[in-house]
This record gives sequence, structure tokens and C-alpha cells, in this order.
Amino acid sequence: MAAAVETDLQPRYIDVDRQVQRAMAPGGLTYWLWVLFCAFLTALGIGFWTNQVYKGLGVTGLTEPTMWAPYITNFVFWVGIAHSGTLISAILFLFRTRWRTAIYRCAETMTVFAVATAGLFPLIHLGRLWFFYFVVPYPNERYLQPDFRSPLVWDFFAIGTYLTISTVFLFTGLIPDCANAREVATGWRKTLYSIFSFGWQGTDRQWRNFQMVYLLLAGFATPLVLSVHSVVSWDFAMTQLPGWHSTIFAPYFVAGAIFSGCALVLTLIIPIRKFWRLEDVVTIWHLDNLAKIVLFTSLIITYSYSVESFMVWYSQDPLELATFHQRYFGPQGYFFWIMVVCNCVIPLLLFSPRVRTNTVWLFIISIFVNIGMWLERFVIIAGSLATNTMPSQWRFYTPHVTEIVITAASFGWFLMNFSLFAKFMPIVSMTEMKEGISWLRQAVRTRYPYRKAA
Amino acid sequence: MSEVAVISTFGNDDDCARGILALHHARIHDFRAFFPFPSEKIIEAVNHVRGWGRSPVRYWQLFGGIIGVLSAIALTFGTSWEWNLIVGGRPIISVPPYIVIMFELMILIGGLSGLTGFFLHSRMPVFDPLPGYRSRFNEDKFGLVVECDETAASRIESVLRDAGAEEVTREALEPVRDNH
Repeated sequence: MAAAVETDLQPRYIDVDRQVQRAMAPGGLTYWLWVLFCAFLTALGIGFWTNQVYKGLGVTGLTEPTMWAPYITNFVFWVGIAHSGTLISAILFLFRTRWRTAIYRCAETMTVFAVATAGLFPLIHLGRLWFFYFVVPYPNERYLQPDFRSPLVWDFFAIGTYLTISTVFLFTGLIPDCANAREVATGWRKTLYSIFSFGWQGTDRQWRNFQMVYLLLAGFATPLVLSVHSVVSWDFAMTQLPGWHSTIFAPYFVAGAIFSGCALVLTLIIPIRKFWRLEDVVTIWHLDNLAKIVLFTSLIITYSYSVESFMVWYSQDPLELATFHQRYFGPQGYFFWIMVVCNCVIPLLLFSPRVRTNTVWLFIISIFVNIGMWLERFVIIAGSLATNTMPSQWRFYTPHVTEIVITAASFGWFLMNFSLFAKFMPIVSMTEMKEGISWLRQAVRTRYPYRKAA
Repeated sequence: MSEVAVISTFGNDDDCARGILALHHARIHDFRAFFPFPSEKIIEAVNHVRGWGRSPVRYWQLFGGIIGVLSAIALTFGTSWEWNLIVGGRPIISVPPYIVIMFELMILIGGLSGLTGFFLHSRMPVFDPLPGYRSRFNEDKFGLVVECDETAASRIESVLRDAGAEEVTREALEPVRDNH
């Protein structure tokens, strides 16, 4: 009887391989049309960027005092998106949270491509791109002062480290799975997986070192998550500008980053599990847990908005009051209220277990959260710059077609890279899923309560 | 005397761990285990039998991290001394902001150094399959491979079968051995 229960409850190791490998099968027409659409958006953005480089920043709506408007908004948005990937893969790994196994690869992939996308925006924002190397802080003989006291220099180090460590973390985790894929692949795919598996054969020596390096990379990545978005927030908070100069920015940005990132994981994983038939691997239980994180971080964000407003009111600083008055009731006040609805009101639906276990609702809510979080960055950056300490300079930013297209292209670029990677690489970690099955078998054998074991 | 590899296949990690301990009790220490996921039971058995502690990769990460901090100190302090321009009335050497650079370089160099240690200690990349390797050991089966003289093979096969191996086969080895 016990054996029968065991058989019913447990998938075999090979089932995991087959399901994930099925998702890696050559894409159909719909898949390639989608990739082509994303590539078209990217190409359009490259065209507009080329025009901007050729003609100068005058083709954009960027002008004094809002020189940082959409491009830096995109930069902060994409860096923020990246954070939940590391949260899910590294922090939840350290806490031995079992539900992460089915979704962490997707989140890690999202992290790497989101940071790569974010890294483009400081370049796009530069008028004279060919002088980029002036920004790189290294000792030089051109009398360029590398000022390590500047948060912009911290940012350079933080983003560079984050991109490198996230990529290393992703590709280290991929080694055993690529070895698995190598065994069944043929042709150029076999070569691809052979390269990325580095000849992995799963020996005791390899696993022993793999476990240690993976644990330590997770340990290193965890404080990195907190540091990188704190550093990004200090790009703003270290200045004296009303609306930016606030001590709450670091935790507020970190919570916002996890909020938006988890929402984007939902946006990406829900279509993947449906179209590539991964419902048995990425279950409603996984989505439910992810939705709970989105709900929790939404509450933190709501609290942060309230505290920020309270501190402004309590300080009675006239410039801060004026900035926040403009933010709420100024000519672009509707952005703030859309943001509040998207980030604070709509996620409250996730209190309902029915909503949390309905993929259509989750997908729609995740889209709203991402719209809200993009607007949050826009409101903070463009809104605060527009109402600086000189009221005579106040001017609200109006986007031109160049920034709109380049912003859309960043989504196209991200989604194109993500879609290609998800098709050609194992988007679910087969080794960790098998580890979960082994753990489940052990739990059933020792009559551990099934709900806990699951 | 010709050498052979005795290849045993197990259906689960419990049996494989039992096989490792059985080999240990039979005083056979020159074996290699293959498994498709990091099974704690097998790793514990291997560590017990081989007397292994924790992986030395951690020292790579530690020393990499220390080198990262020292590099950041050299970069920030050195640059500030070389271009000693006072900015915003702050001291030439402003330690608190430099801590951010030290932290980031500690993580960066520590992480890359740990990765290097992982590759070196795992003897990767490997270009040829190790003796006795089967593709199913990366999928759903667990393997124990013992390289031995042909005369000892029968005894080892019997030990592995008794431990619960689903299949035990023998493969002739090339004259040059790889000591992975």
C-alpha cells in the first residue's frame, strides 16, 4: 500500500527531464513571429538611437531642468526588475525554500538580461557616446578626476559587479542542466550544451565543489541585491534636490525592486508554462507563493509612499511641500495617482486566494504592477527634477517620439533575449527539481505530512 | 594484468549511498560516483568514506574577497593621493564612501575567484568522458564505477549487487588512466 501511494504521488526523475526538454524543442511559427516582433522593436530603437547620436540630444524632450527623465527612469526600472531574480535564486536558496526550484532559473535569466538592458541606458543618455570611456573611473593621465565619493561612480562598480556575479551565478547553475541536455541533443545544439557544461559528468568531486561554489555565490549575491539598489537610490538621495533627498530611499527602492521584479517573473512565467506546457513543473502553488511576495512588497511600498509624504508634511520645508504638491496635484499629477492605483490598490486583490490561483488574474495584475513601477520611477525622477529649488526654472518634461521608441525598444530587446535564451537553455532547473523529488520520496517514506512535504 | 572498470547502476540515491558504504567495508576505496543531482545521502557517504571535509573552493572565495578589498583600497586611496583635489570641502581620503567600492570589489573578485577554484578543483573542463560514464547518470540513474584488476572484478561486482545495484557491467580500460 505504501509503495502504491509512493508511486501515485511521485513523478520520476526522467519525467522532469522530458518536460523541460520538451520546452526546449524547436519553436513554432508563433514563437518565431514573437521573436521577430521583438527584434523589429529593437531595430527601430537602434535606428532612433543612431539618429539621436547623429543629431544630438535635441531630438529628445530632454531639456533643463529635466535632463534625466525617461532614460534614467528606464535604467532604474530595469535594474529594479533584476533584483527579484537574485532574491528568488540566491536568498530563497539560502533559506532552503523549496518552491523556488521551478521558477528560479526564469528569474535569474530575467536578472541577467534586465541588468544588460539597464546598462545600455547610461550610454543612450550620453550625448556624445564616443566619450563613454571618460566615465570609467580609473587612474589616468588626462587630468580626469575619478571621484570615488560620487554615487555615480559607486553605481558603475555596483552595476558592473551585479551583472558579472548574476551572469556567473546563472551559468554556474546551468552547468549540470546543460550536461543533461547535451546527452539528448544533436547537431549544433549538442555543441552548444557541451560548451556550457564544460564536460560536466556529475562525479562526486564535481558535485562537492559545485555545491560549495553555488552556496558561496548565493551568499555573495544576497548582500549584493541590497547594495546595488541602495546605491542606485543614492544616485538621487545623496543630492539636495527636493523629492530626492530622503533617508527612506534605499529600503524603499529595494522593496520596489523586488515588487516589480516578482511581478515581471509572473508576467514571463505564466505564458511560458501555458505555451510550453510546463503546468506540471511550474504549478499554481509556485505562482501563489510568488503572488504572496508581490502582495507583501506592495504593502511595504504603500507604507513607504505614506511615510515619504508624512515626512514632507512634518518637516514643513516649503520646497519639499511645493514639490510634493506638484507631484500630487500638478499638471502631471495623474501619473502619481495611476501609480498609486497600480502599486497600492490593484495588488490588494491578491489577498484573495482565488485571484492568487487564477493565472489570468495574476497576469493582468502583474502587468499593472509593472506599469505602476515604471511610473513610480518616472514620477520620482522627472517630477522632482521639474520642480527643483529654483521655481523660475520649473518645467515639466514632455516626451518626444525618440524616447518613446527607445523605451519600447528596451522591452523588445529584453523580451527578444529572454525568449531566445528560454528556448535554447533549460528554463527550469532539472537538477533541483530532481532533488525536490528525492526529498519528497523521503518525506513520504517517513510519513511526513504530505502538505508540508509538497 | 589488464584493468577493467566495474560499472554499477542504481535506481535511487539510497542504494547508491549503501553501495559506497559497502565498498568501504570491503576495503575498496578507488571508486567514482556519478549522480544526476546533489544527493545529500551520497555526498555524506562519499565524505565519510574518503574523509573529505568541506570543499577547498571556499578558500578561493575568501582570498579573492580579501584581494578585492585590498585592490579597492589601493584604487581609491592611491587615486585620491595622486589627484589630491578637494571636492566639496571633504577630506582627500574619505573612507565611508570608499567602503562601497571595497564591498563591490570584494564581491566581484571573490565571486570570480571562487568560480576559478571550482573549475580547478573539479578538474574541469573535461573533454573526454571518464571511464564508466553513462549518459543516464546525468538523467535518472546513479552510478558507481570501480577501476580494478580483472582478478578483483568478480568480488567487487558481488559487493555492488548485494548493495542493491540494478545492473553491474564490466568495461576494459585503456592503458592510460585518468585519475578523476
